[in-house]
Amino acid sequence: MYPEELKYTQEHEWIRGEDGTCTIGITAYATEQLGDVTYVELPETGVKLAKGAEAGAVESVKAASDIYAPVGGEVVEVNTALDDQPELVNESPYADGWFFKLKDVDPAELSSFMDAAAYAHYVEEQSQ
Amino acid sequence: MQKTPLFDEHKGLGAKIVDFKGWALPLQFAGILKEHLQTRAEASLFDCSHMGEYRIRGQKAIESYGKQIISDVSKIPLGRGRYGAILNEQGGIIDDLITFRMAGDELYVVTNAGPLDSVTARICADNAGAEHVSYETGKIDVQGPRSRELVLEAGFEEAQTLKFFNATWTTWEGHAVLLSRTGFTGELGYELFMENDLTPKLWDVFLEMDAIEAAGLGARDTLRTEVGYALSGQDFDETVTPLEAGMASFIAWDTDFVGKEALEKRRDTDGHPVQVGIITRSKRKPQQDFEVKHHGTAVGIVTSGTYGPSVEHGVGLARVPRALSEPGTQFTAGPKDLEIEVAEIPFYKKGTCRIKI
Repeated sequence: MYPEELKYTQEHEWIRGEDGTCTIGITAYATEQLGDVTYVELPETGVKLAKGAEAGAVESVKAASDIYAPVGGEVVEVNTALDDQPELVNESPYADGWFFKLKDVDPAELSSFMDAAAYAHYVEEQSQ
Repeated sequence: MQKTPLFDEHKGLGAKIVDFKGWALPLQFAGILKEHLQTRAEASLFDCSHMGEYRIRGQKAIESYGKQIISDVSKIPLGRGRYGAILNEQGGIIDDLITFRMAGDELYVVTNAGPLDSVTARICADNAGAEHVSYETGKIDVQGPRSRELVLEAGFEEAQTLKFFNATWTTWEGHAVLLSRTGFTGELGYELFMENDLTPKLWDVFLEMDAIEAAGLGARDTLRTEVGYALSGQDFDETVTPLEAGMASFIAWDTDFVGKEALEKRRDTDGHPVQVGIITRSKRKPQQDFEVKHHGTAVGIVTSGTYGPSVEHGVGLARVPRALSEPGTQFTAGPKDLEIEVAEIPFYKKGTCRIKI
């Protein structure tokens, strides 16, 4: 149900780590909780974010929540398509609806996150 | 949670159910955005069976009821409705409501779910002619530019001539139904009040039509915010007077009603805040309880806020000082100083609710 190759945070973000960069987005569970996404605020490219720093915000018609950098790194790319098509977050949370990419990530930081099975279990506990 | 007569229908449609004032109601069916746009384009069907209804019969009962609300009941013409409110002694709003004059000696009153017990205590106390009928009454709202043809198709011929804010008793399959041309979306629309058992039958008749889809509380909220309608319990409550809730023009100052004295004092001492419409110039939305600041000084509060799917920017309502209530006045709001400005209501200007027939 949740892509096996991703890591997951307790804040319902996913992380795709490849070659020292990380792509960040939010999970299908998060998008279901939010409902139709109407606005995504993303960080500026070039900005260095510490682990846990606020990186932006996501708003839907009935909710709003902040986005955090789950790992530290420098923002190298943001998904500008979300400016005009915030619905991509709902339609394609793990592909077209990604948020931003970080470089210079310490690979050791990644090991602390949940894998798909652990995240599925976490979500189940959350929704009870 | 209490269930409306349409609870099983909502489950069958896969609705996301939430607790609204103790009632299990659909938040959304196909999704709030879709339902919102469907309502503005064609029509939507809303379950509003949680709302409050009262029948007031007899001249004495009507007079007694009239002393409870800010409207002049004697001036409501036959077949017409009037927006009003019921206040506490301090002038605070217990609930807003619509009073319909169904006959020379009969009123029908529509209120909200949240403060139902307080409202019943006020309307029904010492008034033998006032009957609380909420729990045996189901209510379906058909809203959208195509609603008239759909209501006609369902067999309500009265829709052919019914004017905005008018209501009439009719029958459907031999049962009494009150049909009013009112709603909470800014679109041409009808509210249908009937006994509980009849409600699912009529709901199914509408749902089988092509131009209409079920919609939930989420879309109801974005639709009403986009046209600047205040919501009881959110934009005002017992701590807020009608003067501060955009209802000043609905106060019949020449009649007597509970809370009038406090209201007069409030009116005559300068400086009470007022309700204004607010917008953002982006897709960001103002949010309920955001503090409103003017040049860095806290001056008010956002009472409702959402993204407006039809206007494609943030919309909401706020309470600010009268001196800062002119359209165009700029504020910042919330922890991140979101830029908002006062704008005229309705934000969405193409609503069809007043369309002439």
